[in-house]
Amino acid sequence: MTWRRIRIIAAREALAERGQPDGLVSAVTFTATLILVESLAVGPLAATQPAVAAALFWIAMAFAAIIVTSRSFERELEDDALSALLALPGGRDAVYGGKVLALGALLAIVTVVGGGLSLVLLSLDIALPGHLLVVAIAGLVSLPPVMVLFVTIALRLRSRGALVPILVLPVLVPQLVAATNGSAAAASGDAAGAIGWAGLLVAFALVYSVFGLTIVPAALE
Amino acid sequence: MISTTAKTTSALRARPFLGAASVVALFVALWMALLWSPPDAAMGNVVRILYVHVANAWLAYLAFVVVFIASVAYLWTKRLVFDAIAVASAEIGVLFTGLTLVLGSIWARPTWGVWWSWEPRLITTAVMFAMYVGYLLLRNLSDDLDRRASRAAILGIVLVVDVPIVHLSVTWMNALHQLPSVLRPDLQPTLDPSMLASLIVMTIAFTFLYAYLMTARVGIEQRRQARVLEARA
Repeated sequence: MTWRRIRIIAAREALAERGQPDGLVSAVTFTATLILVESLAVGPLAATQPAVAAALFWIAMAFAAIIVTSRSFERELEDDALSALLALPGGRDAVYGGKVLALGALLAIVTVVGGGLSLVLLSLDIALPGHLLVVAIAGLVSLPPVMVLFVTIALRLRSRGALVPILVLPVLVPQLVAATNGSAAAASGDAAGAIGWAGLLVAFALVYSVFGLTIVPAALE
Repeated sequence: MISTTAKTTSALRARPFLGAASVVALFVALWMALLWSPPDAAMGNVVRILYVHVANAWLAYLAFVVVFIASVAYLWTKRLVFDAIAVASAEIGVLFTGLTLVLGSIWARPTWGVWWSWEPRLITTAVMFAMYVGYLLLRNLSDDLDRRASRAAILGIVLVVDVPIVHLSVTWMNALHQLPSVLRPDLQPTLDPSMLASLIVMTIAFTFLYAYLMTARVGIEQRRQARVLEARA
């Protein structure tokens, strides 16, 4: 069963991250630093605006997702484990699905830390916290399918550290716009707006998951 | 099995005719756009930039859809000729997307009063440009012929999503950019007949130019592929 293999690979990923949490630690530290630096750069008045705070947070999340995903595949290459994973029956689909699942779990931790930091440091008043949670979960779900897809495409390439952000950030524009607008809508009390943007994020997640499961196996060598 | 032995003879034979057709069609189109069609009631002679701007944008769409089709065909058949078609079309698409942005900017200055506006059509076009520059970068950073072709094909399939977003952005979001004048949902162009004729001829001329550039660039890429395969053998 592919679903069982996906869960095994996701669990393996979580165990690897627990044993050597450098990807997660880097992503959390980077997100916190970026939120602080961006808020300082735009100034305290601008940074406390819901739309600006949301944009700063989701941009930081996009970079954090790049860090965690890249680190996850780097570890496979360093340990020479990827070839063995791919050799398993159904390994290619399962690697994509498992990585997406594991990345989602790791990003949830980054979201809690980064989101909490934004709320506390910027003293943000949230009109609809439940809706904000829905948007945050939808935004969280929308990132991993894209990230794993693009990191896989750039696997084993020279200069991939620079190439992945160049490839993935333009593709993430709709997700970043939707997550920012959805978060800002939840913060300012627009329930319908928040749910609408969250729905769009889930739709993007589904589209890229289908893309990934269909075509990523061809990119994995 | 990888093969570069595509039936390119007919394309090679067609190239001089495509070149001649491009030159003739471009002369006719320029005459119609610059001399025959009337100035716009609101924009005056500035409207003449739009004949080239719209044809450029059409070519960019066409080129990226061809990248998508060639990418699907490559993953399906593993024939390197499709990879050659994809890279040729992507390069032409990037060139004409860049020209679309530059010409749009030149048109916007006298019309809107600014070189650039943060509105959906402009942003999505700039994003599309960045995406396909990334596509070409990915190709240049990959040394292995087959792996490069597979990776590029996957990216070529994913990136085409932006083409309808660019075209429909003006209808989805209220913005400064005008709504489509020709490719409208009701199939009723809103242009003056002489302006529409000039635009259609310009678009045909650019399509001939695209076909000519494609035959030339695909030939170059196939020779490059053959050299790599020879060296590998």
